[in-house]
Amino acid sequence: MPVRLWRKPLDADKIKIPRGEIHIIKERCKGCNFCIEFCPREVLEESEEFNEKGFHPPRVKDSNNCALCGFCEAVCPDFAIFTVEKNCEGGC
Amino acid sequence: MSKPEPSEEIRIGVYVCHCGLNIAGSVDCEEIARFAATVPHVVISKDNRYVCSDQGQELIKQDIKEHGLNRVVVASCSPRLHEPTFRRACEEAGLNKYLFEMANIREHCSWVHLYEKEKATEKAKDLVRMAVAKAALLQPQEELVVPVTRKALVIGGGVAGIQTALDLADTDYKVYLVEKEPSIGGRMAQIDKTFPTMDCSICILAPKMSDAGRHPNIELLTNSEVTAVKGYIGNFRAKVLKKPRYVTQECTACGDCVPVCTETAPNEFDVGLATRRAIYTPFAQAVPSIYIVDRDLCLNKDSIITCDKCIKACDRNAIDFDMKPETLELEVGTIIVATGADVYDPASLVEYGYTRFPNVIASLEFERLINAGGPSGGRLIRPSDMKVPDTVAFIQCVGSRSEKSGHFYCSSVCCMNTIKDALLIKEHWPETKIYVFYVDIRAYGKGFEELYKRAKEEDVIFIRGLPAEIIENRKNHNLRLIGENTLLTEVYKIDVGMVVLSIGIEPRQDSDVIQRLLTLSKTSNGFFMEAHPKLRPVDAPTGGVFLAGCAESPKDIKDSVTQASAAAARAGILMARGSVTAEAITPVVNMENCQVCGLCARSCPYNAITVNKELEKTEVIEAACAGCGACGAECPFDAITMRHFTDEQIYAQIDASTEQDADKKIVAFCCNWCAYAGADFAGVSRMQYPTNVRIIRTMCSGRVAPKFVERAFSRGAAVVLVAGCHLGDCHYINANYQTKRRIEKLWKKMDRLGMNKNRLQLAWITAAEGEKFASKIKEMQNIIEKVDKEEIEKSKLMVRGGG
Repeated sequence: MPVRLWRKPLDADKIKIPRGEIHIIKERCKGCNFCIEFCPREVLEESEEFNEKGFHPPRVKDSNNCALCGFCEAVCPDFAIFTVEKNCEGGC
Repeated sequence: MSKPEPSEEIRIGVYVCHCGLNIAGSVDCEEIARFAATVPHVVISKDNRYVCSDQGQELIKQDIKEHGLNRVVVASCSPRLHEPTFRRACEEAGLNKYLFEMANIREHCSWVHLYEKEKATEKAKDLVRMAVAKAALLQPQEELVVPVTRKALVIGGGVAGIQTALDLADTDYKVYLVEKEPSIGGRMAQIDKTFPTMDCSICILAPKMSDAGRHPNIELLTNSEVTAVKGYIGNFRAKVLKKPRYVTQECTACGDCVPVCTETAPNEFDVGLATRRAIYTPFAQAVPSIYIVDRDLCLNKDSIITCDKCIKACDRNAIDFDMKPETLELEVGTIIVATGADVYDPASLVEYGYTRFPNVIASLEFERLINAGGPSGGRLIRPSDMKVPDTVAFIQCVGSRSEKSGHFYCSSVCCMNTIKDALLIKEHWPETKIYVFYVDIRAYGKGFEELYKRAKEEDVIFIRGLPAEIIENRKNHNLRLIGENTLLTEVYKIDVGMVVLSIGIEPRQDSDVIQRLLTLSKTSNGFFMEAHPKLRPVDAPTGGVFLAGCAESPKDIKDSVTQASAAAARAGILMARGSVTAEAITPVVNMENCQVCGLCARSCPYNAITVNKELEKTEVIEAACAGCGACGAECPFDAITMRHFTDEQIYAQIDASTEQDADKKIVAFCCNWCAYAGADFAGVSRMQYPTNVRIIRTMCSGRVAPKFVERAFSRGAAVVLVAGCHLGDCHYINANYQTKRRIEKLWKKMDRLGMNKNRLQLAWITAAEGEKFASKIKEMQNIIEKVDKEEIEKSKLMVRGGG
């Protein structure tokens, strides 16, 4: 059998991966869902609320899961979403 | 195949050898020569003291010229001894060597019937009659010369593959070195130190790795897998799937891409004890030193680049997510299989608690922990609290030498590996108390016993008897080992801080793929089988394929390297010569009879027959064929002619052997490699047995078609013996399983027909089992005595294929 990888790596706690903070400007959104569709970590989902244009803006499912790739920001046709690095000094 | 003119008169010369008194002592050779002269087609027959001597050979050559002989029969020793000698003499006189036949009247007659001169002489007459009958039907044959491509494919880039590749490349052959991992290096790269010299493993391996990486004759194909192999010795066509790395040659391995990558996974190289990113290099000394993207882990799945952090971090624009898999087609003459081994998964031994107790680790994890470049920087730490343990226990034979759990065989490296590991701990932390629980310590190699002695001197405690159970203290994660010290017959309970399970070596999980691609065979343990365990230890049974390293059996680095160089030398011999000659004993398909049913192709252990149902064509790839004859025995339409062992020739031998007193005789079909050689060995050892057996040699017992057995019975033979190599030891991979199947079918048929089934015997006799052969013949004597006239008449009438 190939080697079983079951242990938590010894350095697992030392490796710091930057985490993103997602900001959604709801009123700009016109519900194309690109950000939801293309997010590689499936961080976003469609919300039930309506913005003033009558669209469902996205909502953050799990903020800890954002890898800060910035693709939602790049793909949004309405500049309605952006990410910044989360300050994790006190722990995330 | 050139056939003689039908009008050509068959002129056979028979030479009866005295072999000093070896034959003449118990066989009347002059009488045999006189007898031979009366056999049809024999135009000249002579006896001679030593036919194999220069003078004897001269005699044959002269007669061929003077008397226009077109077939030669020598009645002397075993063809396994002197057939090449006489064949050469025939060739020198201008006679095709396939027009020569031998009657074995020494090993199979004079030596085994030392005290029965009359009966032995009668038997020798039969043997000569059989040889002459076959000789009359012999055809000249031409041997196929196959060119050998001067390129080699090495599968597997561990130390064995690297060594083979380097040796071949240094001899000036082009080598493709295929490795499925991102870097070459294999298991040796993971190990900290080597035994018994305590060299740093990667320090001695890394220079070899980089030599292989930059050798002008070696094309390194990492992250690649062999997906198809077609062809045969000297002319293989291999397909290699080169999976994309997504990082180009521009990479300088600076590592700037790593910190920005957000995706992590356990690093396989560190046995999961350290983390790697989606873009990574498995270890610092990796060759090629080009990073690789694990696309399954990376955020950029499919074709959408969502994350470009590594692309931005790379100054040299070396990252290219558009790389596509490539399939390379390689033409090579030889293939070396150095695919290595897996390790036993100790989690299946529940009593040792691996994966339940954090401080129970496997020996491969130990290697990474004690390695200065490893995840703990060389500090041997307990995974539970990251502290250095003050007592360590090693448990041997985990997954080895047990029929109950794991594997039956010895993994051969674990004893010495543990001793080395124990000394390493002592070197760094001399106060550590170390226990080794063992079954036997096998310190058999050069310098091994010395190392074992040193370990004992340094107070490593060896206890004979493996723990029955490990119990964990839940508070401090210490471990209690309970078992029996079998030397003192005392129960022990020992508390330790850490347990290292000395895990065994097992065949690669995916070794079936390579087995199928190259038609290799495996031992019962699952490792690849060599062509001969003593004399061809690195040749695979398939021509042009060689084995090196742990793919063949568990072995240490030194043995792997030795075998690798041996495999390179063996492959080099083929490639240096540039061509290979195939013995002309391969089948020819007669398309007039062939029904394109495909049975022959299925029976071929070498995949040497291709059947094209659409074109109604059955073709033999002569160079891939080894000449066992299983296809000939399988064909229901008599469409296959096994050259030099044709149906007609074998019928002629059966008929000649049963011409007189058939009802008192045993017709024995013996395979060339085992049973015939076993009968030879009985002769060499002068084992005496009854004179009534008449042996017909075939290359493999798989050649024996049911119709041959039926013919023998219809001719009134009392008993028929079919003898081959032991199951699993067949010289034609597994053709003797077909023998078994055919004989079992014949037994059923005999049963149905009301015949005595005992009259057909099947025996597996190795070349060393002369005694077994002799006692088999003795045993069959009893059967003959029970076969009465009625029984013989029954079989004569009832069995198909008579006359």
